[in-house]
Amino acid sequence: MSHAFDASEFLAGFLVEAEEHLSASTMNLLAVEASLRKGENNPRAVRELFRSLHTVKGLSAMVGIEPIVDIAHAMETVLRKADRAAGALSAKAVEALLAGLRAIGERVRALSTSAPVAPAPPQLLDALAALEITKDEAPITVELDLEPGLLAKLSDAEKAQLIQGAENGRRALRVDFVPSPARAAEGTTITSVRERIGAMAEIVKVVPLSIPASDAAPGGLAFALLVLTDATDEALAAAAATTPEEIQTLHARRVDEADPLGEPDSAEEGVGETEGRRRGIVRVDVARLDDALERLSALVITRFRLARAADALAAQGVNVGELCEIVKGYGRQVRDLRGSIMRARMVPVAELLDRVPLIVRGLSRTTQKPVRVVIDAGKAELDKAVAERIFPAIVHLIRNAVDHAIEPPAERQRLGKPEEGLVRVTCFERSTNQLELGISDDGRGIDREAVARRASRPTPADDAALLDLITLPGLTTLDQATKTSGRGLGMDIVKRAVLDLGGELGLRTTPGAGTTFTLLIPLTITIVDAFSFVCGEQTFVAPISAIEEVVEVAPEALVRGPSRHSQLGEVRFMERRGEIVPLVNLASVFSLASGEEPKALVVRRNGTPLAFGIQRVVGQQEVVIRPLEDPLVKVTGISGSTDLGDGRPTLVLDLVALCGALSQNRTEVAA
Amino acid sequence: MSELYVVFKLDDAEYVLQASDVLEMESFGGATRVPGTPPYVAGLIHIRGRVVPVVDLRLRFGLPRIEPTLDSRVIVVQSGERTVGLLVDSAREIMKIAPEGLQAPPSWMGGEGDGFVKSVAHVEGSSGEKRLVMLINCAKVIGQEGIYVDERN
Repeated sequence: MSHAFDASEFLAGFLVEAEEHLSASTMNLLAVEASLRKGENNPRAVRELFRSLHTVKGLSAMVGIEPIVDIAHAMETVLRKADRAAGALSAKAVEALLAGLRAIGERVRALSTSAPVAPAPPQLLDALAALEITKDEAPITVELDLEPGLLAKLSDAEKAQLIQGAENGRRALRVDFVPSPARAAEGTTITSVRERIGAMAEIVKVVPLSIPASDAAPGGLAFALLVLTDATDEALAAAAATTPEEIQTLHARRVDEADPLGEPDSAEEGVGETEGRRRGIVRVDVARLDDALERLSALVITRFRLARAADALAAQGVNVGELCEIVKGYGRQVRDLRGSIMRARMVPVAELLDRVPLIVRGLSRTTQKPVRVVIDAGKAELDKAVAERIFPAIVHLIRNAVDHAIEPPAERQRLGKPEEGLVRVTCFERSTNQLELGISDDGRGIDREAVARRASRPTPADDAALLDLITLPGLTTLDQATKTSGRGLGMDIVKRAVLDLGGELGLRTTPGAGTTFTLLIPLTITIVDAFSFVCGEQTFVAPISAIEEVVEVAPEALVRGPSRHSQLGEVRFMERRGEIVPLVNLASVFSLASGEEPKALVVRRNGTPLAFGIQRVVGQQEVVIRPLEDPLVKVTGISGSTDLGDGRPTLVLDLVALCGALSQNRTEVAA
Repeated sequence: MSELYVVFKLDDAEYVLQASDVLEMESFGGATRVPGTPPYVAGLIHIRGRVVPVVDLRLRFGLPRIEPTLDSRVIVVQSGERTVGLLVDSAREIMKIAPEGLQAPPSWMGGEGDGFVKSVAHVEGSSGEKRLVMLINCAKVIGQEGIYVDERN
C-alpha cells in the first residue's frame, strides 16, 4: 500500500518538475532562435537547455519512462556539442529540438492522464542524431588567444561575448594601462581611461594584473582592458596612454579539440544562483490546496450556523452580546485564513502566458505570416483553477488572430502596414477581484456585413451585437478550412469558457485596423460576496459583483408596453436615472409562484440593463459556491449551490447569464 | 457467485439495484427545487458535504406523485462519474441474487419506461413466497448527458 502511495507521490513530483523544465527549455530554445536571427549564438541559453534536458533525462530514468529518456538523451547529445562550440546551433537543430520538446511534452501529458506513453518516434531520434554541427552552420569554433592566467578570469559569457564580437567582424583586443603618479598628475587614471576607451569600444572586462615594479610601473600594477572595437590601434593607444605596438589582438583560432565546458554535474557553480532564488518556495499539488479550501468552506458554514444560533438565543431574550462579539471575531479570522489560502493558489499570469510565444511561432510558420507577439502581463496573478480554465480560450483567440485576422505579408505591404503582424496579450487587475485580459491584433478587423451575410442575419448595429452573432454556435466566416482553426471559429467555446467562470467577453473591432477581445474574469472562484434574497417563496443568492444596484420598485411608475405574455411573464419598464430599464419578475422567469415584487436587482449585460423583480433581500454574506456539474441540474442562469447554514442547498444565480438567455429568447421570438 | 442487491419499493412494485453502486441511503427531508429542470428532478440535497441531485423515481416511472413519508428514502448511487440520488417509497432490504436468476425483461415494458428495467428475477422471500423484482438500469434512469435537454425542446 505505502509503496503504491510513494510511487504516485513521486510521479506527481516528476510531472511538476518535468513541466517546469520543458517550459523553461521552450523559452530558452526560442531565445536561441531569436539570437540566431540576429546572427548570434546564445551560449547561456544553450547551457540552460543542456542542463534541463540532462535533468529531465535523469528524472525520467528514475521513474522508468524510457521513451522520454531516449528523446532527452538524443537532445542532450546535440546540446552538448553545441555547448562545446560556444552555443552554436543551426536553425535545423532548433527545429529538431523543438520537435523533441513537443514529443517529451506529449509523453509527460500522457503520463499525467495515466494514458500509455508512446515510444520515442524513430524519425525524431534519427533527425537528432543526424545533426552534425558543420563548419558552415557553426563558424564560431574558435578560441581566444590569451595567457591562461587571464583567460581563467573570464566567465564563459565574457569569452563568448569576445568570440562572438570577433566573428561579427569587430576586433577583439587587449589594451593594457599602467597607472603611475605621473599619469595621475596628468589626469590619466584607470577611471578616465575606462571612459575614453568606453567611448570608442565595448569594454568586455577590465582585469587588474600584478606586474614587476619598474620606473614605468612604480605600483607593480597594470590593467588589461579586453575590448571589442572598430577603432584604430592608434586611437586606442592614445586613450590608454600607451603605444599601438602594445595593443594585442586576441587572435581567434579554430578549435579542433575544444576545451569541454564540462558535464553539467561538474559545472554546478552556475546552478547556485537559480536555486538561491527558489529557496523558500515549496511546490504544492493543487489538490492539497483544494482540500484546504474545502475544509475552510466548512468553517464558513459553521460561522453562519453560529450566527443563526446566536440570533435564536437573542430571540428568546438571552443576552448574547459577548457571543456575538466572538462570532464576529471568528468571522474575521475565517476571512483572513481564506485570504491566505487564496493567495497560495495564485499563479503569475506571466507564467501562464509563457507558452504563448511558442504557440504564435507555430501558427506563424504554418500560415506563413510573420507575426510578432508582445506580452504584457505585469505582476497580475490568477487562481490556478481559473488559469487552467481560461487558457484554452486565450489560445483560441490567438489562433484566430494569426489565422484569420492578420493579413498575408503581401497584402499588409499593399495596405501600408508593417509586414510583420502583431499579436498583443495584455493583462491587468481591474479591481481587487477581477482581471482584464486583452488579446489584440493589428489585422483586418471583423467585417460586420460579411458576418451577417454568412449567418443570414441582419447586420449587427455595434460591436456588442457583432459579438453575440459571432459567438453563436457553429458560425464560421471563413470559406476555406484552415489547418489550424478548422472550419469553425469556435467563438462559442471561448464565450462559454469565460461565462462559465462568471466572466464577461468583450469585443472592439475596427475594419482594416484590428480587433481586441477583452476577457473580464474573476481572480478566484468558489467563495464570493453575495446577496441572498427571496423570490417565489424560495431563497436564492447572487454574487454582488454581478448586481449593479438593488432598487425599490414603485408600481405606479411602471410602464406597461404592448404585452406579449410570453413564458417570461410580463415585461414592464421602469425609469432609473434617465435610463429605461426593462423589468421582469424573477419568479415568473423561474415558473415559481409569483406575487409582489417590491424590490428589483439591476443587472447589466453588454451595457444593457435589466431588472429582476424579487420579493425581498435577506442579506449580504460570503458564500461558498459549489458548481453544479450534473446534467440533470445544469440550467442557464443557475451557476451553483451554496449552504447558508441551514443544511439545505441554496441556489446561486448567474443573473448576467440569465439576462443573456432571456434576450436571446426574445430575439428568437422576434425573428 | 451471488451478488448483493438493494431492494426498494415504488407503488406496489419491487426493484433492485446492485449494492456495489449504492453509496448511501438517507431519509428524505425535502430538496431544493431547481427551476427549469423537468418535474422528475426533485431538486438538490446535501449529503456529507456533497450536493447531489435527486430524481423522483415515481415521476420518472410515470407513477402518481405522493407526499414523502417517514419511509421515503433517497438512495445515492454512483453511475460512472455521476452521483445521483433516487427518491423511492421505501428501501429496507438487501438480498442476494444468483446471476442465473436474472432474466431479460418482458417486452411489455415499452414506451416511456423503455430500457429502465435491465432484467427481472424471481426470488423466494423469507416466508417462502415468490417475488418478482426488477433490476433497474441506473444510467438510463438518470439519463445520459443532454437527455433532458432533448426532452425539453
